Amino acid sequence: MANPKKEFTKVYDEYIAKIYRFVYLKVNSQAIAEDLASEAFLRTWEVFKKDTGKIDNIQAFLYKTANNLVIDHYRQKGRINIVPTSEVRLMDTGEDLHEKAAISSDIEFIKKHLSDIKNDYQNVIIMHYLDDLPIPEVARTLEKTEGATRTLLHRALKALKEKTEQV
Amino acid sequence: MTQEELITKIKDLKAVEPSNNWVLSTKNRILGTETRTELFPFFKPVYAGLFCLLFLIGLFEISQDALPGESLYYLKKITEKSQVFLSSEAEKPSLNLAQANKRLEELDKIARKNEVQKLAPAIDEFQATVSEAAKSLSKVKKVDEQIVAQARKLDENKERVEQTLATKIETDDYYNALAVIVKREISDLEAKDLTDQEKAGLEQAKQYLEQEDYSEALITILEISQR
Repeated sequence: MANPKKEFTKVYDEYIAKIYRFVYLKVNSQAIAEDLASEAFLRTWEVFKKDTGKIDNIQAFLYKTANNLVIDHYRQKGRINIVPTSEVRLMDTGEDLHEKAAISSDIEFIKKHLSDIKNDYQNVIIMHYLDDLPIPEVARTLEKTEGATRTLLHRALKALKEKTEQV
Repeated sequence: MTQEELITKIKDLKAVEPSNNWVLSTKNRILGTETRTELFPFFKPVYAGLFCLLFLIGLFEISQDALPGESLYYLKKITEKSQVFLSSEAEKPSLNLAQANKRLEELDKIARKNEVQKLAPAIDEFQATVSEAAKSLSKVKKVDEQIVAQARKLDENKERVEQTLATKIETDDYYNALAVIVKREISDLEAKDLTDQEKAGLEQAKQYLEQEDYSEALITILEISQR
């Protein structure tokens, strides 16, 4: 049997950035995103190390755990935290400062409206367009049919578009 | 904004990423020592034996340059004694002579560096080793090329060291053992039918014996035997 720590290290390396971004775009705070994302991995590891075969779909388990933590966070706090632009980390893509500022502004714009739409809509958009999961994978992760997932994605885009046009 | 433009803007959010420090510290916190052992795999217990073995090999390797009076010199002696112990009776004389030559090379180094405090132990080491060589030579039944080559080298090394130190080093046991071998070899040759050229060579060997130049006598004897 493979070493669980070694196996989970691979899982961690593959998903940590995705789960962090998934949480960050919902909570709008670097500190809270770090806290909830690490908690999601810790809880998954606790289950994984006891019985590696217990988790059928590790990806779905991680997203579901992270999503539940976000829901719990809002239940407890009952508020949405608005964070300054400086907390958004940008990868060094080589663009000049003007381009970076433009991208940063776009990011803030879309991030703000993404956090205004329903949780299910956020999930399907983040998984498909940001984490590059194909529809069947998103469907498996959200435990929905592929058809239902396509419909959800269509509605999510429509809702986000409406939010951006309200400005 | 079209749907395509909206999707492009959504994809810009890929720029959001966690800090490397947080990623590493969280990994370490959740997975504990596993992360550390991956960074330093030689800390794993399974590598401890290999690590010790490599350390010892390295230590023995370094000790080969040690000089008498230095702490690692005992390791060098252990290595040499092991070599002699593991060698056959026939190999022992030339191996002992090779080690006596090493002692002379050490003496030469010490003399050139003017490390006076190491001179006495180095001379003692040479005399002990050459005495061992004399013992193994006394058991030799037939001289071979290796013995002769090492004996010749020892003469040259000894002469050079004695010139540097401006003193004679006592090695009577060794020369007595060589003299016995030369005399025995000469009498063996005298009992054989020799050509005129071989007889001339034998006479030459006898002259070297009289001059106490035993290594030259052995070279001449070896040349006659190999014809």
